[in-house]
Amino acid sequence: MDKLEFSSWNGKVVDNRKGKAKKASRAAAVPFPVPVRGEKAAAVMGWNGLVVLEPGADVPSLTVQYLTEIRKISCGECSVCMIGIDMLLDIFKDMADGEGFESDLAEIEKIVRDVAANAKCNFGQSALFPVSDAVKHYRADFVAVVKGDRKIDGKAYGTAVTAPCIEACPASLDIPGYIEYIRNNRFSDSLGLIRKNCILPGVIGRTCTHPCESACVRKDLDGPLSIRLLKRAAADFERKEKSAPLPVPSGAKDGKVAVIGSGPAGLAAAYNLRRKGYGVTVFETLPEAGGMAAVGIPDYRLPLDILRHEIGLIGDTGVEIALNTGIGKIDMDDFRKKGYQALFLAVGAHAGNRMGVKGEETKCDGLVDGVEFLRDLNLGKKIAPKKKVLIIGGGNVAIDCARSCVRLGFKDVEILYRRSRAEMPARLEEIEGAEEEGVKIRYLTAPLEVVSKSGKFSCLNCIRMKLGKPDESGRKRPEPVKGSEHVVEADLVISAIGQSAVIPVTASKKSLSVNRNGTVKVDPKTMMTSVEGIFSGGDCVTGPATLIEAIAAGNRAAEGIDRYLRGEAAGGGLSFEGVDLKAQRAGGYVVKEGAETVPFLEMAKRTTGFGEVEGGFSHAGAMEEAKRCLRCYRVAVWEKGK
Amino acid sequence: MVNIVINGRKEKAKEGATILEVAREKKLDIPTLCYHKDLSPFGACRLCTVEVKTNGKWQMVPSCNTPVENGMEIATDSEKVLENRKAVAEMLYYRYPETEAVREMAERLGVDVFSEKGEEHDCILCGLCVRTCKEIVGVSALAFEDRGPERDLEEPRIGFDPNACIGCGSCAFVCPTGFVTMEAVDDKRIIWNKVFQMTECAVCGKYFAPEDQLKYISRTTGVPFAKLTTCSNCR
Repeated sequence: MDKLEFSSWNGKVVDNRKGKAKKASRAAAVPFPVPVRGEKAAAVMGWNGLVVLEPGADVPSLTVQYLTEIRKISCGECSVCMIGIDMLLDIFKDMADGEGFESDLAEIEKIVRDVAANAKCNFGQSALFPVSDAVKHYRADFVAVVKGDRKIDGKAYGTAVTAPCIEACPASLDIPGYIEYIRNNRFSDSLGLIRKNCILPGVIGRTCTHPCESACVRKDLDGPLSIRLLKRAAADFERKEKSAPLPVPSGAKDGKVAVIGSGPAGLAAAYNLRRKGYGVTVFETLPEAGGMAAVGIPDYRLPLDILRHEIGLIGDTGVEIALNTGIGKIDMDDFRKKGYQALFLAVGAHAGNRMGVKGEETKCDGLVDGVEFLRDLNLGKKIAPKKKVLIIGGGNVAIDCARSCVRLGFKDVEILYRRSRAEMPARLEEIEGAEEEGVKIRYLTAPLEVVSKSGKFSCLNCIRMKLGKPDESGRKRPEPVKGSEHVVEADLVISAIGQSAVIPVTASKKSLSVNRNGTVKVDPKTMMTSVEGIFSGGDCVTGPATLIEAIAAGNRAAEGIDRYLRGEAAGGGLSFEGVDLKAQRAGGYVVKEGAETVPFLEMAKRTTGFGEVEGGFSHAGAMEEAKRCLRCYRVAVWEKGK
Repeated sequence: MVNIVINGRKEKAKEGATILEVAREKKLDIPTLCYHKDLSPFGACRLCTVEVKTNGKWQMVPSCNTPVENGMEIATDSEKVLENRKAVAEMLYYRYPETEAVREMAERLGVDVFSEKGEEHDCILCGLCVRTCKEIVGVSALAFEDRGPERDLEEPRIGFDPNACIGCGSCAFVCPTGFVTMEAVDDKRIIWNKVFQMTECAVCGKYFAPEDQLKYISRTTGVPFAKLTTCSNCR
């Protein structure tokens, strides 16, 4: 950091001002939020400190701006936080009006202490410390205000609001916000807030990998909030009561956008563009909309009617969804002629990867890939159970296939995985669920050759593995054990070792740039591909990823497309990368209470059908769980720099 | 039972009880504005904050929603607690200087209070009405309208759902500041600006309850409406 004047971030003071430099100040500052996309900050004031980067920064004015911004987040539910902020704003107003005293500065520090000691939530306990830092370390500037030698006036500012959970969420949902609504029995408002960033709340509430819960401040205390299930509660409540239509734009904008693929990315982009007033047509190859959410996730995890309901609501806003409509070759000029000014390519990653073993290339009955198997199953194809099925792979698709086979009536379901359980990429609760249902897992075993006789699968030649040194993924590399070759018999083999995107060919002179792994190249700021007017996002850009990442990509693409059609550049923002969002200088006493639990489908019903396994919160249960939220909102305001 | 030390005295307390419940049972004075013994604790007013020793360190905690634990050391009247309580009362008084309930509390806790009586009846967001409506009445017509980054609300307040309200008046009864008012005009009751038709007692002829409330009782208990039209005095 070459230009740091002062920092009190996380309570660690670094002071490089002229005449102030002390020994300790040579130390580097703790990472603090910084503006991105070419913007600069003169100073940043956030929940955990004050950082000054330019000598000319106006700290007293920034302090007032910061207080004005945190006043909007202060909920008013406890006596001290909002009133304390108001008291401070009143003091600064008096100062600016020439009615302040130097003794007010001590009063400011007392108010900060009182609020921090008494506030109910993590926001109130932490938000005021930087004000105290400013008054303490920039005292001369505040005294100058008191004496009338300095003015408090507005500069150009930016504001960012986040929380550890919000930052962890790919789609940046306002998690403390929607939880607070549930706590206050306002489930519909909660759902409205969720939908601003996540248009498939019932789907995500069931299937999300919930990185937010790993970031929850309560995680290390008594277990994280069940954030995923709270989202599901908001969605289920509305479905049970009465579904209100999604907000539809008041004024329509000129312009039509084509979306290729109706998966989470495509749907998110389509709805957000529609909400901005554009006409949107979604083209889907399959007879069912929803992409991987429809054909990649079995019913016991995500009942189809939940997805259909949420897609139906999107359709009701005027988004056209054309099913059974594959686009062979993408010709942007052709789309333009039909009135589409932009195109969003979101075809996902639906091609199963090859195992790379002998005999795999020979087409044979009894060998399928996992995505194809799940797709057939979800599209209603009858799959007759056989005696023994082998599933190759350790990811979520492998588990989905295995648990589906149990439900289809296969007597013997076994997973082969080349590493050990510790390296399995599937979610732990899914692995445990599979085992509960009788799925066997054979670790440290890899296939060598698919043996087939006259077009029919006969057996799999396998080899035992042992774990060596960690590879580039950080997991221990499996190495074959010489002489451990053996034969595994089965009636069906499902290979589930990953998926790839199959990108449609473009007809434009300039072809679509792709990465080495076959995914589409996009500008991360705008989501535009190498072809003007064609944007892309979701699995076909990232490779196989989560539904919420796809939704986030769709949201960003809608922004990018809207900016492109209006000829506007992307705005700046604050990055919290590397900043410890959990850290705060004062924490309240938290009474330990574990998360509320939900019922699960009884075992006898699991092996005979595709009924949903996990239940949801009751109304009261959701409100109880929501009470556990510590409301760790973090606000940062920056004075724009030169 | 758990063993605790409260203000230096070894005591036994009921497991699961809150510090406030235990303290009141031992006749220790802890002021509150948002607490009611029949409602779930809310921790809004912060007046009940006491000191608790955890991991060898004294920490401020609201006593109304913190359960006692075995071995817990509690101070309800230390200098720090009294100072802190006064600071909270000062803040409440700063915001609601004309509201009598706040004025009285502030004075009691050592804040310099103007001598003239308060004329205002501000909502101090204690949540007693919200909790009564949900937990006692069971209709949840009242809810907080909180704020956050995506929400646009100048001041937080209590939201009212006229479709859910049955006009029972419990919120007005429990309100500590007189913000929630209930008006009776002839055969009408007005609460939260909603007008309710009152029902005449079949015996004495006095208006005694809103029709909506009796319908609600009938619906939830299964007792026919006609059997509910006698007031409690005549029953």
